[in-house]
Order: sequence, then C-alpha cells, then structure tokens
Amino acid sequence: MAQRNIVEVQDLEVKFYTYSGVVEALDGVNIFIKEGEILGLVGETGCGKSVTSLSIMKLVPPPGRIEGGRIILSGGPKRQDILTMGDDSIRLMRGKDISMIFQEPRAYLNPVYTVENQISEVMYVHRKNELLEKSITSLQKKLMEKRKPRSEEQRAKFEKQKAELEKRKGAEEHKAKLGEPEADLEEKAAGIPSNYEIRIYKRMLRARSRTSRLIAGFFSRFIRKRQLTAEARKEVVRILKSVEIPDPERVAGMYPHELSGGMAQRVVIAMALTCNPTLLIADEPTTNLDVTVQAQILNLIRMLKKNIGSSILYITHDLGVVAQSCDRVAVMYAGNVIETADVFETFSSPLHPYTRALLESIPRPGEPFKSIPGMVPSLINPLKGCRFHDRCSYAMEVCQNVKPAFMEVKKGHYVSCHLYGGSK
Amino acid sequence: MLVFVILGVSVLVFAVSMMFDPAQRALLYVRNVQRTTDAAIRETIRIYGLEDPFYLQYGRWMSQVLQGNLGWSPTASQTVADSIRTRWPYTFEIVLFAAPLIIFIGIYLGVQSAVHRDKPIDQASRVFSVIGWSLPSFWVGMVLIAIFYGMLNWFPPGSASPEVQVFMKGAFVRYTGIDLFDGLLNGQPWITLDVLRHLVLPVVTIVTIDVALLIRVMRSSMLESLSKPYITTAKAKGLSNKAVIYKHARRNALIPVATLSGMLVAGLLGGLIITETVFGFGGLGQWAAGAAVQLDMPAVLGYAILSAVMFVVANLIVDILYAYIDPRIRLD
Amino acid sequence: MNLKERWQEFKTGLRPRIAEWRFMLKRLRKSYLAMTGIAIILFFVGVAILAPVLAPPHGDPMMIPKDYDIETLRTQEPTPPTIRHIFGTIDSQYDLYYACIWGTITAFRIGLLVVVVSLVIGLLVGILAAFYGGLLDEALMRFTDIIIAFPGLILAMALVLAFPTTVPLSVSNVLLAVSIISMLILLAFKPDRRLLLVNMLVLIFSVVSVLYSPIVFDLALQRLDKVLIAITIVGWPGYARLIRGEVLRVKNEDYIEASRASGSTDSRIIMKHILPNSIYPVLIVATLDIGSIVLTAAALSFIGIGAPDGYADWGQVISKAQLWMNGPGEIIKNFHTFFIPGLFIALFVVGWNLLGDALRDVLDPQLRRR
Repeated sequence: MAQRNIVEVQDLEVKFYTYSGVVEALDGVNIFIKEGEILGLVGETGCGKSVTSLSIMKLVPPPGRIEGGRIILSGGPKRQDILTMGDDSIRLMRGKDISMIFQEPRAYLNPVYTVENQISEVMYVHRKNELLEKSITSLQKKLMEKRKPRSEEQRAKFEKQKAELEKRKGAEEHKAKLGEPEADLEEKAAGIPSNYEIRIYKRMLRARSRTSRLIAGFFSRFIRKRQLTAEARKEVVRILKSVEIPDPERVAGMYPHELSGGMAQRVVIAMALTCNPTLLIADEPTTNLDVTVQAQILNLIRMLKKNIGSSILYITHDLGVVAQSCDRVAVMYAGNVIETADVFETFSSPLHPYTRALLESIPRPGEPFKSIPGMVPSLINPLKGCRFHDRCSYAMEVCQNVKPAFMEVKKGHYVSCHLYGGSK
Repeated sequence: MLVFVILGVSVLVFAVSMMFDPAQRALLYVRNVQRTTDAAIRETIRIYGLEDPFYLQYGRWMSQVLQGNLGWSPTASQTVADSIRTRWPYTFEIVLFAAPLIIFIGIYLGVQSAVHRDKPIDQASRVFSVIGWSLPSFWVGMVLIAIFYGMLNWFPPGSASPEVQVFMKGAFVRYTGIDLFDGLLNGQPWITLDVLRHLVLPVVTIVTIDVALLIRVMRSSMLESLSKPYITTAKAKGLSNKAVIYKHARRNALIPVATLSGMLVAGLLGGLIITETVFGFGGLGQWAAGAAVQLDMPAVLGYAILSAVMFVVANLIVDILYAYIDPRIRLD
Repeated sequence: MNLKERWQEFKTGLRPRIAEWRFMLKRLRKSYLAMTGIAIILFFVGVAILAPVLAPPHGDPMMIPKDYDIETLRTQEPTPPTIRHIFGTIDSQYDLYYACIWGTITAFRIGLLVVVVSLVIGLLVGILAAFYGGLLDEALMRFTDIIIAFPGLILAMALVLAFPTTVPLSVSNVLLAVSIISMLILLAFKPDRRLLLVNMLVLIFSVVSVLYSPIVFDLALQRLDKVLIAITIVGWPGYARLIRGEVLRVKNEDYIEASRASGSTDSRIIMKHILPNSIYPVLIVATLDIGSIVLTAAALSFIGIGAPDGYADWGQVISKAQLWMNGPGEIIKNFHTFFIPGLFIALFVVGWNLLGDALRDVLDPQLRRR
C-alpha cells in the first residue's frame, strides 16, 4: 500500500482585502504531502508559496482571509479539516504537530530572550506535563539520595523504595484511578519523600478544572521552579546537540544577535523540531545563507527527517535545492499549483509549459540565457481562464476563458493545463 | 559629554541673566530695595564686579555654584540652596504618585489600543488622550478645584490643612522632610491622610495631561512590535494570544517607552510650575514661578540648573535601564 | 541647466507625489477625528475673521473694553453673564465675550508666527548640520542639546524677563549672519557664478559695515512680542534635531546611493529625494506645535509675564480670574471667569492636535502605500 497522505490541501482560496483592491492570492490550490517525504514547493516570488504554507497553519495575517477549500490533516487515525476547527484546537497543533521555519532566522527570533528561553517556551506549551513528571521524579530521587543509607539494611530498604518509585512511575492509570490524595498517600507510605516544590509540581500536573489550573499557576509564580527549569534546560541542550550545534550549553544562554546566520537557523530548526512534529514547513530557510552553510542545513534537514520521520514542505525558488533534496515537487504560478510530480519525473519530462520554461531558463554554460517573456500578472484583477496564458507559447483559445482543472495525467503526475485535457 | 551639556546649560543660563543691566543685578545683593540710594547701587556694582567682562563674572559665579552657594533669593528670604531643600519634598510628593500612575496607565492603555486597533477601546483612549494633552494645566486645576473644593469640599487646594500646619510647628519631628512620611513616622497618621487628601487633585491634573503622551508612544511602539517577524514565529509555536502580546510584543515595545518615562519623570521632578501655582502647593515649581515674575534671578538660575542636572541624570539612568532591558545594547 | 528645465523636472517629479497626496487626503477624509479637528480649526478661523463683526471694537481692537458704568457704580468684582455681557465680565469689568473673540486672533498670531519662524530656523540649522556633518554638525547638535535640556517654560520665562524693552537691532549684524548662512547653502548647491558673486559682495559689505559704521536702529518690543521671540528661541532646536535625524536617515537609504551612482548632482538629490522624504515628521510636529505653543503662551500669561493687562489674550484673562478665587463660594460664583476662556484654549488646541494626530496616522510610512 502506498504511503498515506499526511496533508491534503484541496481547492484552497485565499483573498487579501487591501486598500488598492482585492488580491486573489490563492485561486484553488491543490497540494498533498505523503508521510515521510520532502515536497518541494517552487515558484517565483509572489506566486503564493508563503501564503499557502501560512494557510496550513491558519496563520494568514489580516487583511487576508481563507475563503474556501479544505485542508485535511491526518495525524494518527483521524482525518480532520482544520479549516473547520476552532482556534484553540489549531493553536494546540502549532508547534506540536505542524511547525514552521522561516527565511531570516535572526529576524524571526525575539531579540530580548535567550535561545534557551525561546526553545523551552515551546516545551512549556506542549510538553509541560512531561517536564513536570520528570521534575518530580528527579527531585524525589535527589531527596532520597540525601538520606544516605548508613547500613546494609538501610541500603536494601533504599533499593526497595527506589523500585517502588519506578513501579509507581509506570502506573499512571493506577494513580488516576486512585485519585490524587490517595496516590500521594501511597507514595508517602512507600517512603518516597516530598517537599514544597514537588507538591507544587504535582498540583500543576493534576489541575484539571480551570479554577484549579489558575490556582496552581498563581502559586507556581512565587516559587523558584528550579528543577523544572533545569529539566527544560537539559532537554534544550539535547535538542541543540541534535542539530549539530557545537557547545550547546553556551549557545543556550546566548541571545539571537550573538549568533551567526547558520547557527541561528539551526536554533530555529531545533525550536521547530522540539515536539517531533508530523509536518515541518520550511519557508526558504536557506535563501539568505552562504552556499556552504546552505548545504549543511539541507543535510541537517534530511538527517532529521530520517531520525524523526516528519514530512517536510520545503518552499524555495532554487531548483537546484529541489533537485538535490526533494522527493516530490509542486510548481506554483500566480496562485495556482500547476504541476505536481515525483522529482525525477518533473525534471526529466515536465508537462506544463511553465515548468518547461522554468527548467529551460536554468543557466547553462556556453548557452545564451533563456527567459520567459512577459511579467507575472497582478493578482488584483487576475486574468480569466488560465493565469499563464498570456505568456504561454502553447496558448489556445480555450486557455483564455476556462481555467484548467488539476488532473492526474500520468501515475502520480498532476497537471493543470488544457494541453492535457484540463477542461473537464 | 553630559558634563558638557550641564556646563553649556550653565553658560546659557548665566548669559540670560547677563541680559539684565548691572544696576538691576546689583539690586539682588541688597536686602532692602526701597531704601537703596543710587550711590549704594554704584558701590554694589563695584564691590561685586558687576561690570566685569563676561568670563570673569561667569567664573566667579561658577566657583560659587560648585561650592554649593547658589546665591540668595529675595523672594524666598532664604538662600537658593535652602529654598530648594525646603520645597523639594512637596514636588516629590506629587511626582511620587503621579509618575507611576502615568506610566502604568499609559502602558496599559497603549497596549490595549494597539492590540484592539481601531476598535472602541482604541478610539476612546485616543480621543481621551488627545483631549487630555490639549487642556491647559491651570485650567484643569481650576475647574477641578471649583468642582471638588468649591462645590463638594472633598479635596482642598494647598499642601496641608491649617490644623496640620499648626501641628507641624509644634511637637513634630521631621525625619525625612516629607510630610507624607513624617506623619506616619511621628505616629500621627491623620496628618498623612490629610496630605493625601490634598494630593488628589494635583495628581489627577498632572496625570490627565501627561498620560496622553505615554499612551501614544506605547501604542505606536506596540504596533510596530506586533508587525515584526518574531511575532509570527511566536504564533507558529502555538503560544496563546496573551503570551504573544504580553511576553513577546510588549517587552520589545517597552524599550522606547522606557526612555520617554525617564524623561517624563525628570521633567516632573524639575517642577510642575503651573500646577503647583494653581494649587498653591509650595513646591519647587511655585517658587520658581513667583521668582520669575519678581525678577529673582538667583532663584530662577538655581532652578534652571537644577532642572538641567536632573535632565542629565535622568538621561544617565535611562541609558542604564536601556542596557538592562535590551540585551543587544549590553555588549557595547 | 537653467531655471526652466529645472522647473520642468521638479514638476514631473511631483506627479507621483500628487497621487500620494490625493490618497492621503482620501484617508484623512475618512477619519472622524481628523474631520472634527479641521472643523474646529475652521470654526476658529471664522471667528477670527469675523471678529470685528461679532464684537465691534472701541478704539484699539486688541484691548478689551471695560464697562465703566458697572465699575464706577459697584465694584471690580466679576459679574456673571447677562444680556449686555454675554459671557459676563472679569476683574475690573472687562467684557469676557470680547476677550474671547479677539483672543482668537491673538492665538492664531502666536501659534502661526512662532511655528513658522522656528520651523524655518530649525530647518536651516538642521539641514546644514546634516549635510555638512563633521565639526559643524557636532557643534550645532551640542548647542541644540543644551537648549533642549533646559526646561522650556523656565527658559521662556527667563528670556521674556531678560529681554530689554527696546532692542538695538543691528541691521549690519543681521545682514552678516544672513549672508554667511546663504553662503553655506549656496556652496552646498553649486550654483552658477552670478549668485555666488552677489552673495560675496553682500558678505563683504556687511563685514565692512559691522567693523566701521554699523547700521542700527531701536526696536520697541511689546510684551507679547517678547513672548513670541522667547518661545521661538526655545522652539527651533526641536525642529533642527528632527530634520537632522530624518535627513541622516534618508541619506543612508539605498536609493540615494543609486541616485548618486546614476549621476545626479547634490542639489537634485536633496530636492528630489531627501527633502520630500524627510519633511513629513516635521510637518506633523509643526501642526501639533501650533496647539502646544498657544498653551505655553497661555501659561506664561497666566503667571503674569505674557500679554499685558487688559490685552485680549485667553491666558491673560484666566490669570486675572485668580484674583477672585478666595474660598469656595467665590470660586463657584466666578466660575465663568476662568471656565469659558479656558474652554476656548482647550478647544483651539484640541482642533490642532486632532489634525496633527490624524496627519501622523495618515503619513505613517508603513501605511502610506498598502
């Protein structure tokens, strides 16, 4: 069975209501990304790549509005159209199931907070309970260590208590069934120590209703939460190591303006991968970097994909990068995806005239430059029919009036063009 | 560099005073103006070298100032230094309440205006602040006095009631020189309450007028901060709207506001000339106003230097604060 | 290149600018606050123009008429509004209605004169400093720093008091200063020989005249004039710093470099690129200043060193109200003596502030083209 689709964007329409008029930025975009693949999204500046990616996270800024279509995400067994989901549900997915990295890393990091602060922020939003559990356990261990056993007997008892602790840790349903006070009493009976910090963490962990959460948050503001920050810090350092940042402890305490471009981009990538997202959207992450750094980052992304298993939507206008790193390609023009295929297929037999012209325009030594005549159309009053027809050498009568449909012409190869029967 | 500014200010101030002819300036050294003869005036001019070249007189004056002798103020019948010392607490009391109110209300309304741009709260606070900024401070003071004292007798003008003033001449130890605190320190809380009662109207006057500036600056700074790229990142991390606004946007937006606040506090401390005059509060401002009208040059000069020094000090503090808030500046 | 061609170039450069202005005007029209502000200003303009009709003067129009009948019959005490005196009278039986109407003219006079003059001086100084840079820039900026460090009101107070009533105005000195400044400006623009020569001659003439036989005549200053001069002196450094900051910012923009690379002369760069892009904040501040200068002048009058007694000036009238504010009863009885003129001041300033604020929103570079 072929891989399933993680993301399906169907007929997405996005409009921007500006003072100069209504910009029809996306005019029925169709994209699908399979599990574990890198999809390259290419197109000229202004064709709508960024808007598409922002739409997937429902982050289109005003005066933009998503006006139509469906965006279906398949995390786990469920398939849901995020455009029908409420804002809160989507917010929970951002940074956790889908994350995004951007073009100029130092501009996209908050200059007044350290790297550690900004990465751990993601953890506090999405993985807080995990951190709390870890803190509780570590603190309990520490406290137990403090009561150093004196004799063999006591050491044996100590070992038994530790084993109890491990058992308790694994028995979450047991705890939940018991209810909190009982679970605490059990622990106390087993000789597992507690102090005020642990108690606060437990309260934070178990707060279910809104009020108890508020109370927990209120009290937690006054204590130092040393262990929690320490746990978060350990995790941050681990993540920084995984993106191959040298001396991660030192980098964690640095501010964005102290980092080089490549380093900053690694930090941003680290931040995005904190929660092992299902989909990573990369919006031209290497465009502003040196070519050598670009290569490193690309390698990094590929490696991370292998380790974590995320799918990646890689937006770029650099065909070289696409050829090198992507599994499949989607080509956009003026708010439409006009061709999608496997990367080898796209480069060897491009179907859409625009794709062909694009590939032909890659400079080759010894040959004259070839460019596409005309200009990208204004999206305020777009052309009727196919938006490329005024620059297309194969344009026909029907191209001026009817917009071609997005159809599977060969296996796995989709095109939106009348040359291939786009008029349904 | 700042020292240069202070020096420059002193030169400027002195130059202004030199615009008076020697005879007028001689009068300042005379205790009893009516009974002075022309001969006495000429003698005074000679003794004090009031017709010497500019730099000589300036040098003499500066050396006096640096020794702490700012001259004698006829209007106050005290030395200038003493006048400052006795009057400063009253100005301080007003600023103590007005400054935090202005800053916090300004920040809050500024942030709300920016976040809910063009919605009712934004329109309302902008209208309110434009109107507040346009009102003459003496007019606001007088109208408030008319309503809250004239009609309701809740908050009288002046710095303290007559009973309090009589009491303070008696068994009253001045620990800090500030009536507000001394009342408590002497075990007489009713004095403190009375002072507070007198403080309400002047503080309200000042806050109404000055908060407008802070709201405007905070709003525009916040709007700019909200359009920065890192806000998109924050949203993409799944942070709640509140976290995005208060943790990320506001912290960056506060930077220019901090500068402004520092200047504001310096300006306030320098003296609320008009407000104190209207309310008869007895602080630095009122003294300076009276001194100016009666051509009490040493007083005006002393006040001017004081204000300039505070401006410079405020600048310094703001610079330090800046480095604390904005890590980009620290390394320099 | 001669004058006609330069004028043509200026006009073609203006066309996109005009489109931008029309866009901004449209946005201005949409804002309620801006329209209110403009309405208020127009109202006051109307009052000022129609002053002789609304409140016919007796004798010197700028002096408020007294009602001698009441004064001799009863007291100096202010009287509340009646048919004869629509707003009532203030201390010494001055007619408040008259004072408020003619006070409008005073307000406009103060606001516009001071702003225009301090704007011109500030622009000159600021542009020269930014353009030449180096030592001149440093010196001028330190100088403006000093004036700004001063609390404005106090400096204005001190200046008003310190100015002698008759100022010996040395025309030679003024001529000297002016010719030096224009020399600096001309040198920046690289004009043709004739202008340079004329300037040289004037310069030499003024130097000679200063050294050997200066032309002096005495200028009698009214108290209000002193206020105007004082506020101008206090005000120009603000504009100088502002325009200097803007010019420096614009100077470093890429399009200036591009323009220079394509061979534009300095004067073209200044006129076509730098000035239009740096002038907007200054205009905004100038509009807002008209209001705040009127406030400052009113404050000075209130203290007693502004307009003379009996002059039709809002601040002066309120200052007189202080005489009759002893005790709560009196305060309420004479409420109109300070409330009404203060209302005029407040409304006037509100109008200009609304306009200035709206301009600031409209001219915000981020929103100018969206």
